[in-house]
Amino acid sequence: MKKIVALSAFLLGAALASPANNSLVIGTSQEPPNIMDPWVTNNLAISTEVNQWMGAGLTGRNNDGSLYADIATTVPTLANGLYKENKSGGKVVSNSLTYTIRPDAKWSDGTPITTADFEFWLKVELDERVPAPQRYPWDGAKITKKDDKTFTITFNPPYLFAQVAGAPGLAPSKQMAAGWAAFDSATKGMKPGEALNDQWTKFISQYTTSSNLPQVVAGPFKPTSWKPGNSLTLTRNTNYWRKPQGGESKYIQSVIYRFIPNTNTLKVNILSGQLDAVATVGLTFDQALDMQKRQGNKFTTFFAPGAVWEHIDVNTRGQRSKDLGLDDARVRQALLYSVDRAALVKAMFQGKQPVSNTFVNPLAPVYDKDVMAYGFDAAKAKSLFAAAGWKPGADGILEKNGKKMILNFSTTAGNAVRERVQQILQAQWKAVGVQVNIQNYPASVFFGPDMLSKGESGKWDLAMYAWSADPTLEGGDLFKSSAIPNAANGYSGQNNSGWSNAEYSKLQKQSETEFNAAARSKQFAQMQAIWAKELPSLPMYFRANPYTRVNDLVNYDMTAITQYPTWDAYRIGWASKGAVSAHTQK
Amino acid sequence: MLSYALRRILQMIPLLFVISLVIYGLTALQPGDPVDQMIFGNPHIRPEDVVRLREAYGADTPWFEKYWTWLTHAMRGDFGYSRDFSIPATQFIFQQRLPNTLLLTVPALILSTLIAIPLGIFSAVRQYSLPDYILTFLSFIASSAPVFWIGVMVLFLFAVWLPQATNGAISLPPGGLGSAGMDPSAGFAAFWGDRLKYMILPVMVLMLREISSTLRYMRASFLDVINQDFVRTARAKGLPNRSVIYKHALRNSLIPIVTILGLSIPGLFSGAVLTETVFSWPGIGRALLDSLVSKDFNVVMVCLMTLAFLTVIFQLITDLLYGLVDPRIRYN
Repeated sequence: MKKIVALSAFLLGAALASPANNSLVIGTSQEPPNIMDPWVTNNLAISTEVNQWMGAGLTGRNNDGSLYADIATTVPTLANGLYKENKSGGKVVSNSLTYTIRPDAKWSDGTPITTADFEFWLKVELDERVPAPQRYPWDGAKITKKDDKTFTITFNPPYLFAQVAGAPGLAPSKQMAAGWAAFDSATKGMKPGEALNDQWTKFISQYTTSSNLPQVVAGPFKPTSWKPGNSLTLTRNTNYWRKPQGGESKYIQSVIYRFIPNTNTLKVNILSGQLDAVATVGLTFDQALDMQKRQGNKFTTFFAPGAVWEHIDVNTRGQRSKDLGLDDARVRQALLYSVDRAALVKAMFQGKQPVSNTFVNPLAPVYDKDVMAYGFDAAKAKSLFAAAGWKPGADGILEKNGKKMILNFSTTAGNAVRERVQQILQAQWKAVGVQVNIQNYPASVFFGPDMLSKGESGKWDLAMYAWSADPTLEGGDLFKSSAIPNAANGYSGQNNSGWSNAEYSKLQKQSETEFNAAARSKQFAQMQAIWAKELPSLPMYFRANPYTRVNDLVNYDMTAITQYPTWDAYRIGWASKGAVSAHTQK
Repeated sequence: MLSYALRRILQMIPLLFVISLVIYGLTALQPGDPVDQMIFGNPHIRPEDVVRLREAYGADTPWFEKYWTWLTHAMRGDFGYSRDFSIPATQFIFQQRLPNTLLLTVPALILSTLIAIPLGIFSAVRQYSLPDYILTFLSFIASSAPVFWIGVMVLFLFAVWLPQATNGAISLPPGGLGSAGMDPSAGFAAFWGDRLKYMILPVMVLMLREISSTLRYMRASFLDVINQDFVRTARAKGLPNRSVIYKHALRNSLIPIVTILGLSIPGLFSGAVLTETVFSWPGIGRALLDSLVSKDFNVVMVCLMTLAFLTVIFQLITDLLYGLVDPRIRYN
């Protein structure tokens, strides 16, 4: 009997001690499929968030967007002459960045980081056999080696965002040399397709998976154990060169990611004290609001401004769109005037997700704060509908030429927040005589090949979804005419509303090669003015990224620019253990 | 019986072939491909990238062509890589996920059968008594309450509320496979003690379901048998009640239970999606669901073909077992 009691006490005893000393336990609802793939062929948010502990770059960006040197000794600028714009006839025809690698920059096994690691990365990135998700701007880039520690990367045609995002990636060329040679010989002359892709998987899986952890990394932490489906453990890489204030022994020494797919279970884990922090890929917005209510003194739940723009595309293409008047800007304006977005974000998100007026994030350098804003004005909406020829029928629904304004409103089925927003909007549109039928689809169908890109055949009228993009790299591509998906471009463009405006597209094209920041901002101000007047999409709000952490944890914060709280990994630590706070969540 | 078994085994080959074709076809008919996900994940992607990636992932290859490639490779024992996890699909399923699933489902099935059969008999023997009503009521509750709700409630009870109420004296981990950093190098007792702690709640939740259904079957089957003539005869010739129940009625009432248990063995390998998800248990159920959603074909095929194979094999074993437990059945 005593034995049974002892065993029960052991089994039912405290499940886990709280994280010892300088360790950190983070919960996330998603497991990264792989880690530290230098060519990011599997670009999921959770991979990026986890990789930031282990990665290093020539330069990095902090919360306000300014650059700092990491592997490089200096940030290249026009002023120090390391960033150059080569002009011909007043136009920039190419640009270049010169980097010098810090003498103490080493891989985690102690071998020095050299120019060869950047050359190898670029060579593989541009290899036709590699499924790199996006070749631009590297397809116009060339590395010129000066010596093992200095090189110049030149972009021809010039890359507009070279100063901010023109630093090439790096890959451990020595460790990967044999694997790459094997891939190279096995795939000579092979055509693109599944067989070639399998060879690539065979190559990259030698360095990035749970059964083959990366052999070397450059960043402040290195992976030491990955239990598939359960946890990933990282420990401090003492070969990392930047040292935090007071010495690295005062900062986090090991990080454990726990994979908890059910977000309710994730919540239970926080409440039971098993976690010190939750990744941005974790709690839903509703759960985060609830956590904030019951957080007590131990935790804080933050809502960091995000780079995700929630909006409703209006289908402006095809006969159905003409019949419903959706190709008429006045109707689209009226649709936006009819809804009270300020009240909606206040009621649903406690005002933590700000109303947007255009597709440009307020943190983008080209954002125009004076862009036209549509407040709630039902009377104005009605008069705009009337001006466009839509009058209420006997049943109160707007009519024109015998056709009633009955719109299909779609979004991703099962997304509770979006479905609630839909219902609020449906009621508000009904009040002005627009009948909206909700017709949602699973994400695989909604984002599938037969939905958003096929607006011309009248598959949808209103579609609510989001775009996520780095605000500093805003290029206005989403709404250019050439991005309208059609048979000619294989339905690959992303201008799903099908809105085509010659002036907007002309300005957008010009802005692609405008290297003068002030002139570019002016072009974007015009573009935003046109867009806000025409409203190919109804802007809703910018999503906030909720995350939770123990109060004692410092330097675990972010903005829409850094996007993940792990961006400054080497300085994350416990204040009670002597870690010094360098920045806080705004 | 041997020739019957051989005939059935030969019939399995075309059956498994048809099953593989149907599974592949249905999975391929789902809309969307990996490149669609990339398009909506990156506003800066260019049309030329989309064309290149579609070629690279074979997104435009007709499904029957892809199926043929899969089949010819599978015949050679090559089931391809998991696209999501970049490791061989068989390694992902048989090394990483299946052992975890069996760790939950096997103890849950054994324990629940050992508990449910006596309870079912008890309930049947005392039909319409208070204990029978209570057991029936509880089994209905257990089989009708959704697992994701029971799971979260159990987690909250044992991982949050009880630890707080008892100042940590009673506390179980809130999901997961084991403590971080715990591996077999810590020693057999420490490793399995830790693993056992994490198993308690998910096994308990799985058992609730199993017990409630097996109890209901056992009760019904036993009631059927004890009202038959041979039982009445046994009682009439003066046999003690214990002997009537355990010698005569029990063996006969177990025939339908053998069928149910036989057919639930493939279920041990299919995992329990909801229990695994709520308790963060990386098993095969979650792997199958995730791979279906992300269209990780090779993993889907390994999962479902394993299940199909086990189902037809255990169907055959169950049929053969009938011959052993029921003398009226002969395979000629």
